[in-house]
Amino acid sequence: MDVKSEILGRYNAKVFKNRKDHILRVTGTEGGVPEIAANTRAMPGIMTNRGCCYAGCKGVVVGPIRDAVTITHGPIGCGFYTWGTRRNKARAGEDGKNFIQYCFSTDMQESDIVFGGDKKLRQAIKEAVEIFHPQTVFICSTCPVGLIGDDIHAVAAEAEKLYGITCTAFSCEGYKGVSQSGGHHIANNGLMKRLIGSNDTPPETKYSVNLLGEYNIGGDGWEVERILRRIGYDVVSVFTGDGSVERISRSHMVNLNLVQCHRSINYVAEMMKTVYGVDWLKVNFIGLDAVCDSLRNIAEFFGDEDLKRRTEEVVAEEMAGIAEDMAFFKNKLEGRTAALFVGGSRSHHYQALLKNLGVSTVLAGYEFAHRDDYEGRDIIPEIKEDADSKNIEQLEVERDPKRYRAFLSPERYEELKASIGLENYRGMIRDMPDGSYVVDDLNHFETEQFSKLLRPDIFFSGIKDKYVLQKGGTLSRQLHSYDYSGPYAGFKGAVVFGRDLVMGLYAPAWNMVTPPWKKERPEKDSEKEGSSHA
Amino acid sequence: MSSGIVNLNTNPCKMCMPMGAVSAFYGIARCMSILHGSQGCSTYIRRHMATHYNEPVDIASSSLTEEGTVFGGEKNLVKGLDNLISLYHPEVIGVSTTCLAETIGEDVPAVIRRYRESRPECGVKIISVASAGYSGTQYEGWFRALHALLLQTDMDETRHDGLNIITGPVSPADTRALKNCLGSLGLSFILLPDISENLDGGHNPAYDRLPSGGTSLAQISRMAGARATLELSAFLPEAYSPGRWLEEKHGVPLLRLNMPIGLRDTDALLKALEDLGGVISGEVRRERARCLDAMIDAHKYNALGRGAVFGEPDFVYGIARLCCENGLVPVVAATGGNCPALKARLEEEIRPVADNVLAEKTTVLNFADFDDIDAAVTGNGVNILIGNSDGRRLARKHNIPLIRCAFPIHDHVGGQRVRILGYSGASGLLNTLANALISGRDAVFRADAFERYCKNIPTNAVKPACAQSGQANRRMAEKTARHPCFSSSARHSAARLHLPVAPACNISCNYCVRVFDCPNESRPGVTTKVLSPEEALTRFINIKASLPNLAVVGIAGPGDSLANFPETSETLRLVREADPDIVFCLSTNGLLLPIYAAQLMNLGVSHVTVTINAVDPRIGARIYKHVNYMGVKYEGEAAAAILMSNQLAGLKMLTEAGVVCKVNTVLIKGVNDAHVEDVARAARSLGASIANIMQMIPVKGSVFEDMPLISNKEHLTLRKRCEAVIPQMYHCRQCRADAVGLLDEDMSFRLREIASSRTQIVESPADRPMSAPVRVAVASRSGVVVDQHFGYAEQFYIYESDGLFTRLVETRRAPGDTVGCGRCGGGGKKQAYPGGEENSFGKIARALEIVADCRAVVAMRIGDSPSRQLKRKGIAVFSTYENIDKAVREAAAQCV
Repeated sequence: MDVKSEILGRYNAKVFKNRKDHILRVTGTEGGVPEIAANTRAMPGIMTNRGCCYAGCKGVVVGPIRDAVTITHGPIGCGFYTWGTRRNKARAGEDGKNFIQYCFSTDMQESDIVFGGDKKLRQAIKEAVEIFHPQTVFICSTCPVGLIGDDIHAVAAEAEKLYGITCTAFSCEGYKGVSQSGGHHIANNGLMKRLIGSNDTPPETKYSVNLLGEYNIGGDGWEVERILRRIGYDVVSVFTGDGSVERISRSHMVNLNLVQCHRSINYVAEMMKTVYGVDWLKVNFIGLDAVCDSLRNIAEFFGDEDLKRRTEEVVAEEMAGIAEDMAFFKNKLEGRTAALFVGGSRSHHYQALLKNLGVSTVLAGYEFAHRDDYEGRDIIPEIKEDADSKNIEQLEVERDPKRYRAFLSPERYEELKASIGLENYRGMIRDMPDGSYVVDDLNHFETEQFSKLLRPDIFFSGIKDKYVLQKGGTLSRQLHSYDYSGPYAGFKGAVVFGRDLVMGLYAPAWNMVTPPWKKERPEKDSEKEGSSHA
Repeated sequence: MSSGIVNLNTNPCKMCMPMGAVSAFYGIARCMSILHGSQGCSTYIRRHMATHYNEPVDIASSSLTEEGTVFGGEKNLVKGLDNLISLYHPEVIGVSTTCLAETIGEDVPAVIRRYRESRPECGVKIISVASAGYSGTQYEGWFRALHALLLQTDMDETRHDGLNIITGPVSPADTRALKNCLGSLGLSFILLPDISENLDGGHNPAYDRLPSGGTSLAQISRMAGARATLELSAFLPEAYSPGRWLEEKHGVPLLRLNMPIGLRDTDALLKALEDLGGVISGEVRRERARCLDAMIDAHKYNALGRGAVFGEPDFVYGIARLCCENGLVPVVAATGGNCPALKARLEEEIRPVADNVLAEKTTVLNFADFDDIDAAVTGNGVNILIGNSDGRRLARKHNIPLIRCAFPIHDHVGGQRVRILGYSGASGLLNTLANALISGRDAVFRADAFERYCKNIPTNAVKPACAQSGQANRRMAEKTARHPCFSSSARHSAARLHLPVAPACNISCNYCVRVFDCPNESRPGVTTKVLSPEEALTRFINIKASLPNLAVVGIAGPGDSLANFPETSETLRLVREADPDIVFCLSTNGLLLPIYAAQLMNLGVSHVTVTINAVDPRIGARIYKHVNYMGVKYEGEAAAAILMSNQLAGLKMLTEAGVVCKVNTVLIKGVNDAHVEDVARAARSLGASIANIMQMIPVKGSVFEDMPLISNKEHLTLRKRCEAVIPQMYHCRQCRADAVGLLDEDMSFRLREIASSRTQIVESPADRPMSAPVRVAVASRSGVVVDQHFGYAEQFYIYESDGLFTRLVETRRAPGDTVGCGRCGGGGKKQAYPGGEENSFGKIARALEIVADCRAVVAMRIGDSPSRQLKRKGIAVFSTYENIDKAVREAAAQCV
């Protein structure tokens, strides 16, 4: 029996039927990428690792914008649970504003549920404005708000008039959609409607880009920005790690959008293309080959010979700087296996970096991705809309006749579509080795079962699932928050990542976790010389 | 929440009910939890518990979606229960509701009843708890779950010898310690709940999905037949007290005790258990003795501690009592939820201990967020924080240690093994507290001691006033008599020089905008140029040569003199070297006065003006935007409190040492006008000699730009009223930071050139023949320097020059209204005169006429449009800020 059948066999008929389409084994993609079920409702009662709509909107996309005061309108829990938990780092800008360390909530009580909470929200905004003097206030709603019918958008409009600020409300009640993905979309819509395009200050150079879908976990965004600036790009805005309202407001003036996390931000990329003509390019700044390819593709887009030369210079210098360390780590890690289960893009991105370190993937899956993140954007027309996706507003935008600018000629655009994959994402499955497994919305039970059967040396996930593996003696690294480490992106980050893996796998403690008289994993590990990981 | 902030929770000090409910269910054997609501609730709670306990945490969700909110969530909950049962095979399932389920009014007990009816073969005990996030915190959620467990379990009243022990939220390690202690007494007991194993498991290659430790359903059922219930929680919500229910429903006597934190409360628990037949073992007695020994060892360090304790009511109460036992004063105790009973009980506990060690201010906060706690921490002089890891931001901000011993701990490992209960928990915690305080002191002890006892001892400082000889007093009186600001008679004769060497400021007042170089304005905070100490010396020497009546050198900004202490002290030192007799005067906001007072006296400063606008932090908070003190930026009342205490302490230090002090107060209508008398009284009581109540000048661009002005009459009335308290200065001119001369005759502009370079003004005699003279119009007010904007000039000086010599031909008045300096309204330097052109359109046209016969115009600035018009007429335009003679010569040279 193969691993898939073995696990599915443990389920009752209903769950079996549901889960079987979310699991597949990769067997070559030449004949086309196999179809996987994704972005459908999680089964109740199964320990899904998914979050809610509010988590995607406030926790992921809106939260990292450092200079906006984000007020959670709801009971205290939701605000509390998104307080400083993502490790999205931010520095105060010249204005000295950085609200990342704060958690603002209306702390709704029973009476607010009964009599309506908008009065309290109105007052909370007033207090926030008086104390913190923000230019921008975001309101994110939680489950009860949508149910009791507080009109947060009216409150926001009123606050704008009263205080001369930008105040945007996001109706991201937790129950909307099937995962945090719906929240990303709602946040994207809000940014597009209210912030992007509100400031026409042109960038410093024509080599101007935005970095979309980079949340600066552990400083990733800073490393990527450093590399881009070194080459000579003007990074106008990062969405949204260490992001600021000011930078986002003029982000439509760039010539190219770089998309790191496709899942959470592709809506903005597409809408900016429609309205302002900004092309977008899928990049990956995790993994050395991926970084180099991305940088070369960006240079190719601008087509400038000097820029290409400069790119090669920087690549050569950066690679030379880390070559020795990477070789050492690779030597230590070669032949290991990994399972990855993260969000909506990292499981793909990190396979590139693992490959550089000689680690192969046995299983990868996303928490909340859609089919296109697995199979590539070609299949988008085939995705059926269901009741849940219809609940998330699909913002209709149209070309801004005054500000629409096409950087490329139509011929060049078609050329680049073919050569560098402009405005395309080919999905994760194509990059996965034969025989590996892809699992969508992996739950606690499956995590445990797959690990038993596939025995990865390292399990990459988030905090909720990591202890199941770690307690049993398998190294885990969190790819949501990096266990207080990072950055892992770019050139310098790759070294940090290699160090963390070696330091984890070679920790002497592992030698002690399985007593010598009860060695459970004979063949695989005894073959490896110098392995200290039992 | 503090100071009227009642609707915005800033940095919460609490979590929601479902968190507490599922935590309690983790103490039940073979029990799984499912949250009825959006899946985010269970995901977030799992994430937080896993981080704290470093354990896998399995909490299912009914994953309600939009459809569920319309049609009810029964379908989802039923599916969830089915799946949970088939995958995990639990004996008990706790169904806790969330905000969503409660808001849509889901009848969970009915859903469960129907579920049981439709699956008669299912033997799983399903317990429902109403735990809406908006109805309470995790603390209430914990007890609601326990209460529901008892209510919904089939109880067995068969009498037995055991005791029921019910606890509030405690760590797994503490639960284990409690169990060991109870076991050692030889009593049989049922502990509810028991998270000791389920949330603190060992390394185990085979993962056990179902929590196998904990209180079993059978044990819970037998609680109805126990001898007695001991409920170890002082503040649990009465309506959800499991012990009360057991007493009322099943007649089990209830004894409620405090959570056994610290010596007294552990004693009380053991006493109660002894009364119930327990035998206290030798080991427990030895533990108690060791705890006392630990208290003796630690008290001398802990008694220097001023703690802020925050968290759940039982935790706060217990820890505060433990602190009090060891002399560590919990000057701040705060709980995030609503527990009004805590305040009274804590105050009676804390007050006597605080009085022993002169800890003046203690605060107990109910329904507090970290913003409130922050304010109290600042105000009460806290030096150690005790609570969960959410206090880390405060710890970092105030650079004080945080002892993490409550849920959740997110930034350290070992949350599951925190120990605070019992004798050994107390000794351990006391050691940790003492060690943190010792480390903190040790790190700065030498530097502090040096600062305090060695560095600042004035070697030949002015002696305290009381010890001054009559001669010194006379000398001081004589100096005061020469000071134009302190003596109203000197103001007509004695000149003063302000040396603008102090650009930086460490506070931000809402009435102040410090735009340098605005020649049309005269008010504090304004200067044309910031000087280095050496330039200041040169200026002093030059000015002294041309102003024989110069009596006083002052430093008044443009920022704060003490925020630039190195420059200030160097300037004074240099000037003192050049002139041993000149009177030194200094004005400051007072923030750094306690630090530098002694050094100021050493430098020979005899007169100091401190601007004190309020002595009540609530009023101060409206005046000061922020205060930067010791590298930390404070806002609101905290900022005001720090500033005021330093102002008053500094003032006292100065006056006691004989320095003559003036207190300036900026009068802001509606803010401190009713408060100035209090300020005056405080100033008097601390020894100030004179007070100066000034009208606020509403400066464009400042926060108070639109503040109404106080009328002269009101101003005068206030001064008169305050005169009863302290002499008033009536002749203040609110000088610039680079003022020169008599108070009524600021010569800073006329003397600028003399001051800085002593350039000889080369003016050719009127009859000297010039080879082809060129006529040049100069926009100037002073007649010495080109110091006016073309469009705003009140007069033009018409010169003739051949590029070598200059001759003043005449002065032409530019009639019309004087328009204020557009610059000051404009803010940034690049942005010149916004709107100025239009406002003074007629004036510019007239100015153009006036200069029509000239070949060149020299002005400090000129707008684009007039500049173009002039050029069109063939008139060259030069903008400069220069000595007139030089400017005219240069302009002419270019035109010739």
